[in-house]
Amino acid sequence: MAITGTSEKVALQALKASDWHLEGAFDFFYSQPQIRAVTDSRHLEELYNRYKDPYVDMIMVDGVSLLCNDLQVEPQDIVMLVVSWHMKAATMCEFSRQEFISGLQSLGVDSIEKFREKIPSLRAELKDENKFREIYNFAFGWAKDQGQKSLALDTAIGMWQLLFAEKHWPLVDYWCQFLQVRHNKAISRDTWSQLLEFAKTIDPQLSNYDAEGAWPYLIDEFVEYLFENGIVQRGN
Amino acid sequence: MSAQKKRNFKIEAFKHRVEVDPKYAEKTWKILEHAIHEIYNHNASGLSFEELYRNAYNMVLHKYGEKLYSGLVTTMTWHLKEIAKSIEAAQGGLFLEELNRKWGDHNKALQMIRDILMYMDRTFVPSNRKTPVHELGLNLWRDNIIHSHKIQTRLLDTLLDLIHRERTGEVINRGLMRNITKMLMDLGSSVYQEDFERPFLEVSASFYSGESQQFIECCDCGDYLKKAERRLNEEMERVSHYLDAKSEAKITSVVEKEMIANHMQRLVHMENSGLVNMLVDDKYEDLSRMYNLFRRVPEGLSTIRDVMTSHLRETGKQLVSDPERLRDPVDFVQRLLDMKDKHDKIISIAFNNDKTFQNALNSSFEYFINLNNRSPEFISLYVDDKLRKGLKGVTEEDVEVVLDKVMMLFRYLQEKDVFEKYYKQHLAKRLLSGKTVSDDAERSMIVKLKTECGYQFTSKLEGMFTDMRTSQDTMQGFYASQYSETGDGPTLAVQVLTTGSWPTQPSAPCNLPAEILGVCEKFRAYYLGTHTGRRLTWQTNMGTADIKATFGKGQKHELNVSTYQMCVLMLFNSADRLSYKEIEQATEIPAADLKRCLQSLACVKGKNVLRKEPMSKDIAEDDAFYFNDKFTSKFIKVKIGTVVAQKESEPEKHETRQRVEEDRKPQIEAAIVRIMKSRRVLDHNSIVTEVTTQLQSRFLPNPVVIKKRIESLIEREFLERDKADRKLYRYLA
Repeated sequence: MAITGTSEKVALQALKASDWHLEGAFDFFYSQPQIRAVTDSRHLEELYNRYKDPYVDMIMVDGVSLLCNDLQVEPQDIVMLVVSWHMKAATMCEFSRQEFISGLQSLGVDSIEKFREKIPSLRAELKDENKFREIYNFAFGWAKDQGQKSLALDTAIGMWQLLFAEKHWPLVDYWCQFLQVRHNKAISRDTWSQLLEFAKTIDPQLSNYDAEGAWPYLIDEFVEYLFENGIVQRGN
Repeated sequence: MSAQKKRNFKIEAFKHRVEVDPKYAEKTWKILEHAIHEIYNHNASGLSFEELYRNAYNMVLHKYGEKLYSGLVTTMTWHLKEIAKSIEAAQGGLFLEELNRKWGDHNKALQMIRDILMYMDRTFVPSNRKTPVHELGLNLWRDNIIHSHKIQTRLLDTLLDLIHRERTGEVINRGLMRNITKMLMDLGSSVYQEDFERPFLEVSASFYSGESQQFIECCDCGDYLKKAERRLNEEMERVSHYLDAKSEAKITSVVEKEMIANHMQRLVHMENSGLVNMLVDDKYEDLSRMYNLFRRVPEGLSTIRDVMTSHLRETGKQLVSDPERLRDPVDFVQRLLDMKDKHDKIISIAFNNDKTFQNALNSSFEYFINLNNRSPEFISLYVDDKLRKGLKGVTEEDVEVVLDKVMMLFRYLQEKDVFEKYYKQHLAKRLLSGKTVSDDAERSMIVKLKTECGYQFTSKLEGMFTDMRTSQDTMQGFYASQYSETGDGPTLAVQVLTTGSWPTQPSAPCNLPAEILGVCEKFRAYYLGTHTGRRLTWQTNMGTADIKATFGKGQKHELNVSTYQMCVLMLFNSADRLSYKEIEQATEIPAADLKRCLQSLACVKGKNVLRKEPMSKDIAEDDAFYFNDKFTSKFIKVKIGTVVAQKESEPEKHETRQRVEEDRKPQIEAAIVRIMKSRRVLDHNSIVTEVTTQLQSRFLPNPVVIKKRIESLIEREFLERDKADRKLYRYLA
């Protein structure tokens, strides 16, 4: 414990795993993928209370604003989406007590300073392919109204603009345009998640787009839209 | 018998070998040689067979077989060379005769020689592997006569020339020809083939090539085919008369190739006389001839079939797209039936009922009938017309014939569910207006549809018939009961329709006149008394009424009108003049229906029981209506009702189609779920294929619609996409 600076619980874990051999325990400890830093639950309570809404046991819009302020990030900054993902937040602009506290625990922070220091690494997570996909798909459930199955078009467009600023997709503006002109209805979950696949695997000139590729109907329509308006040349 | 010659030796038994004096052998041979000469010189009668045979026998026995054999060869050869000279010397037509005669002679000689030399033939020849005498004789003939360079070419040329002359119309000596060709065959089939048949086929090929070229420039298709057939028959006859039977297949295939195969396309497509013209003009004989000739050559029948198919498709396509034709649905369908009949007849009379042609006909019909998406509606209207009046007085068998033909067209439809919708509507109108010609015919049609499409297709239709029957019973019960004390009020006839079975109509409001309402309520009370838990809604847009009206000069007429019309007319019992607005208010009939109803009452000549001001054809909001005192008609009973099934107007058509599309969605979804439930995991394209197969007996689902249904099922969590392969779907239990 003195050498690694870890907690008693973790030390015991390591020793047990290595059959009470000290050297083995060190190996075990340092090979752990994620070394969770200890969080003080009292600090977490205090932090939660700072942002909690006076009337409801939740952090609401004002609390979130304050939090962003403290973290020195804009409320529309995409890093807040990453934060929400870690917290497994059910819906945007709200955090429940459970979500906030266990979220911060899993991040290993219990103070605003530590939280602020964590921000760059959270941002970096968007660059990881797998994490980005998880965050992207998480965003659908998070951004939509609780009672609805689908995501309202305006919100969807806003989210797409945000997300594809991080992971550049040249056709995103045409996509949003197309939706407003032709579709004008909410977005289904399947369409949402398939769009990412489309953006990742199909090249902007659509040379490897396969009409038999079981893409959602809306995406097929989008391709037609691109051809019709001469944005992409029909070559195949 | 000849004198015995003196012998120098005795023939002894096998006890000891006797060496024969070589001079003896020579002498013996000389005897035989002389005999051969005599035989060839037609002097055989002076010879003793027994003696000669003995001589030959002795030679062989004393091991002089070789001498005998080679002597034979030399002698015969010498004679044949002489014979060749005499044949070569023959002039003109006598050449063949001479050849024939000498051949006959040679054969006779050969036989005698063989008989004499039989012992040698049986012993020496096989053990020394020599050619037997008879065969030797033929080979020598072949080598010295037939293959002699002066004769060989002349023989062939003569034969070919004769054949050519016969082809151009001359009569030739067929018996002689037969003998010559038989001779060649006797010499060996390779002789026949090399020295005659092959050149014969080549020459024939170029003859027919030339002739066919000539014919095709100047004849029309039908005549050309007649000529080709004639030539073909000629050649077959030629073979049977004087060629070897094996030549038949070869020469016929030459004629087929030159006269038919090489000109197939040109014949079929010949302007004004080709296949299409023959089809159009029902030229059964020509078509039959074409069929029989073309079936002999490769690709012949498929050529005919392809041209027929594209002609059918073209004609059919024009028929279904012609706006003139589309005005009268009954006529439209009648023309389709006529077209089918015509071509059925052609196939059965001229094309030997060939199944592949039947199939081509069917696929063509299927193609163009579905080009027009009103075909299902029109076919239903055709049946409606027949069942209403067209089949009046027709025998039962003929009714079956007509309905069976209609069923054939029905089978070609891809959108059978559209047909079902329309058939239901039309049947409803027929049943409710009592306008069907024969109940049996109606039933028969239902049975045919059931056989074709299964129980579900017709269960609702059958429900409609059941309702009609049940209603009759109900009416009897009603009038027997106390509910029907109406005095001299209106007589009511009610048909109670089960909602699921009949075409759905939105129930529009309509204020019934008080007298009617009264008796309706009585019925309702009676019915609900015996059937608790049910709900009755009056379908005012489907009913009819008979009204007695008295006009200005006291003339009475009985008017047969729709319920809407009755409501309007009854208003005039209490008013002489009514504005459109007043009528609308009083009856609450929806505007579109009301306008149509008023039009039929006021604007149709001979049926204008109402008078309209102004006298325009259209109904305007501020028109005024008067009871037409001056109405006259020849008939006491006047029919003004508008309940006959008609082809739909554009907006109605649009609405029906929308309903059909809506109905298809759950069917597609049910099919997807069924398939996924049993397969668990399946890729997109396979789902589309399976769904199409499952539903094809009702309609052809659009792959885009299938895709949308899949997405809807994903959203409702019946299916999900596979995590690894996005083209795969999984069933979620």
